Amino acid sequence: MNPILVLGGGPAGLSAAAELAALGAPALLVERENYLGGNPKRWHYSLLAPDLKPAEEILGALLSKVEGNPKVDLRLSTTLSKAERSESGYLVTLKSADAVETRAVSAVVLATGFDHFDSRRKFEYGYGRFPDVLDFKELEAMIHDDRVVRPSDGKPPRRIAWILCVGSRDIQVGNPWCCRLGCAVSIKQAVEVRQKHPEIDAYVYYMDIRTYGLWEDLYWKSMQEYGVKFIRGRIGQITMAEGGSRLLATGEDTILSRPTEVPFDMIVLASGMEPGVGTKEAAALFAAPVGPEGFLSPSLSDLNPVDSGIPGLFYAGAATGPKAIPDAVTEGMGAALRAYQYARR
Amino acid sequence: MPIVERSLVEVDRTEALELEGIDVSGDWNTFLRSRVVQDLDLKVADWVKGQPQGETISRCWQCGTCTAGCCLHTDFGLEEFNPRYFIYLAQIGYEEELRRYAQTVWRCVSCNKCVERCPKGVKVEEVIHTIGSYLTLTGAAPESPADRFDRAYTENLLRRGVLDEPDLFRTYERLEGRRTPAGELLRMGLKLLGSGRLHTGPLAHRTRGWRRMGAVLREALTEDERRRREGLAPSPPPPGGPP
Repeated sequence: MNPILVLGGGPAGLSAAAELAALGAPALLVERENYLGGNPKRWHYSLLAPDLKPAEEILGALLSKVEGNPKVDLRLSTTLSKAERSESGYLVTLKSADAVETRAVSAVVLATGFDHFDSRRKFEYGYGRFPDVLDFKELEAMIHDDRVVRPSDGKPPRRIAWILCVGSRDIQVGNPWCCRLGCAVSIKQAVEVRQKHPEIDAYVYYMDIRTYGLWEDLYWKSMQEYGVKFIRGRIGQITMAEGGSRLLATGEDTILSRPTEVPFDMIVLASGMEPGVGTKEAAALFAAPVGPEGFLSPSLSDLNPVDSGIPGLFYAGAATGPKAIPDAVTEGMGAALRAYQYARR
Repeated sequence: MPIVERSLVEVDRTEALELEGIDVSGDWNTFLRSRVVQDLDLKVADWVKGQPQGETISRCWQCGTCTAGCCLHTDFGLEEFNPRYFIYLAQIGYEEELRRYAQTVWRCVSCNKCVERCPKGVKVEEVIHTIGSYLTLTGAAPESPADRFDRAYTENLLRRGVLDEPDLFRTYERLEGRRTPAGELLRMGLKLLGSGRLHTGPLAHRTRGWRRMGAVLREALTEDERRRREGLAPSPPPPGGPP
């Protein structure tokens, strides 16, 4: 059997490759970066919501099934430059710094994932101009290294605000969808900060809290056990407080029906999820249909969420929309099975 | 509910004025205080959460179930009595606004419908009273005649373990800065005694073992007061007074 191509080495791709190997099918795992692990690895995710397990533990379990596995042909720093339908599947051209190679594969799993919204596009928040306005993936790395300090002066913050839905649910930046995880991850970060530094006050500015399903527990705990405060209202702009080094978050507290201009030492933006670069490229290479949001559209999202509708092409993970790691892992398993069935047809 | 913010309006002066035969009397120099929330301080939230009766405050997520069923808010039409709102102010640490309700919060009649209905297990009635205690202890509300009477009553009872009504009357009068002439006092006293409505307390009754019992009670009250005041510094009453 020709190998099954898995494009993307994040949680969904790792899961698909591991599952294929377990089925006894050869997998060709192609990753554009020079490491495996996708966004969680790239941004040094700390603990994962909702169970607060270290990201390394989850990724490590997936990696151990893939790295060194004789069934998995691993290609790092490699991209796909061409894909053609063939009798037995696809003919794909792989490109790396020193080689171009064309391979016949029996099926393809696209696990090309998402990119975080570039918070600079939400210019009224001053991200990129004010050093103490952070993207939450940067705070994630700070928490991971246990060094939560203001980038401007290296001092520990006394009060931190999280702003939810940055680059999500916002037609001004063209992203009307919900990122599904901003609430949970921000709340989880606030919990982690309060666990280690109870002297830091944590406020979350929200429109709705979408810790869906059983994740609700995290939201409740954050209030009851860790004293995280929630203020309803979307921040309109961030400025520097007069003469000082603190940031001013200007918005409306919609419960008070009052304008608010509260100073913070650090403001964290929960940046949304967009289709990843790899996802956009793959959509073009395979002429795969995308939805209005730019994510890949499964043929029947309720019945066959991992099927593209194109023979031999399957999807897994955040390439089809914002997704949590457990869902990405599950889809990786599903896509592996469907691709295997197709290859064995 | 619209938030009534009458106290934000400062009517500096009302002037009677006639200009060329036309009456232009009215309020002038009327200023609005800034409505902008400029700072938050979790002192109040932490204190309330630290009290045995206030600890469930952190569960509140502002759904409004309590206020929806609150008999004061709905049946009695006391719209500014809004337990959800008081909890929010305390939770986020917007004390300046909370202090304007220092007297209103005490109007709760403890029907406990809110406690029965809260989906999140907030003991609303207890929390509201704890917020009230905070406001009273920090001097947000001036001591009322009723507060002074309570103080005189407790002191009186603690002295002998039985109420000394003539003494309570004299003490309370002193606290209020009033003085009934001796003749009138005697006339009134005799009349009340005759109709059996004045109890002479210690003259007719002795509480056995009060010396020890009273000391224990006093100590407990002092300790309770000390604990409640822990970490609290009295702050000045709010500008503008209650709404």
